[in-house]
Amino acid sequence: MLRTVSTLVRTSIALGACVVAAVMWCGPAGADSTDDYPIPKRIWQTSCDAEQVLAAVRDTSPVYYERYMIDKSNRPADVQQAAVDRINWFFSLTPAARRAYSEEVATNIYGEPMAQRWGNWAKAFFNNKGVAARATDVCLNYPRGDMSVWDWPVR
Amino acid sequence: MLPQVRGLLWALVLAVVVLLAAAPARADVDSDFATQLHGYGIYGPRDYNAWLGKITCKRLATRLDRNAFDSAKFLSTNLPRGTTTQQAWQFLDAALATYCPEQLSVISAVATH
Repeated sequence: MLRTVSTLVRTSIALGACVVAAVMWCGPAGADSTDDYPIPKRIWQTSCDAEQVLAAVRDTSPVYYERYMIDKSNRPADVQQAAVDRINWFFSLTPAARRAYSEEVATNIYGEPMAQRWGNWAKAFFNNKGVAARATDVCLNYPRGDMSVWDWPVR
Repeated sequence: MLPQVRGLLWALVLAVVVLLAAAPARADVDSDFATQLHGYGIYGPRDYNAWLGKITCKRLATRLDRNAFDSAKFLSTNLPRGTTTQQAWQFLDAALATYCPEQLSVISAVATH
C-alpha cells in the first residue's frame, strides 16, 4: 500500500516536472513578419503610389475593391480621410522602410493607430497576395496621384 | 386511442399542412442570370458573377467605362482564364439586360461601327 502511494506521488511529481518543462520550453507566442506577411512583397516593393495600386485593384479585383469601398463608406468621414492619408504616407516610404513597417505592425498591436479606428483600413492593399500581385502587375499604367479613385458610389 | 397518440397525429397533420402551404422557392434575379450564363458555357460562383454584372453596370453609369469595348475588356480581365471574347460579350449583354437595361444601348452603339 505504502509502496503504491509512493509510486503515485513520484509519478505525479515527474509528470508535473514535464508540464513545467514543456511550458517553459515553448516561448512567447511569436508573430514575426515575413517578406509576405502581413504586407505582401509586391506591395512593399512596388514603385506605384496608393492611387495607382487602388485603380489597378478596381480593374483587376473588382469585387474586392467594391467591398473595400463599401466598408470605407460606412466609416465616419474623418476616419476615411485618415485612412487615405495613412496609405499615401505608407507608399511615400522607401521599400526598406515599408518592410520595417510590416515588421512593426506584425509585432506591435499598437503599431498602427489607424487599425484601432478601422480594422480593415488598408484591406485593398495589404491583405491578399493574389490581389496585390494582379494589381502590381499593371499599376504603372495608371496616373499617379489620381484621387478620383477614392470616389466610388456605393448603394 | 390514447390521448398522447392522438396529439402526436394532430401534430403530424399540422406539419404536413404547413409544409404544403409553404410557397415554392422563387428563383431570384442572380439565379436567373446564372442560368443564362450557363447557356453560354460561363460557370463560376453565382455571387461573383452577379457582383461582376452589377459592377459592369456601375462602371458604365459612372463613365469609368466609356463604351461597350471598355466593358468587354473589363470583363475579359475578370472572367476566368480561357473565357472567349464571344463569351465576354455574351456576359456583357446578359448583365446589362439583367441589371441595367437602360445601358443596353451601349451595345447597339458599337454594333453600328
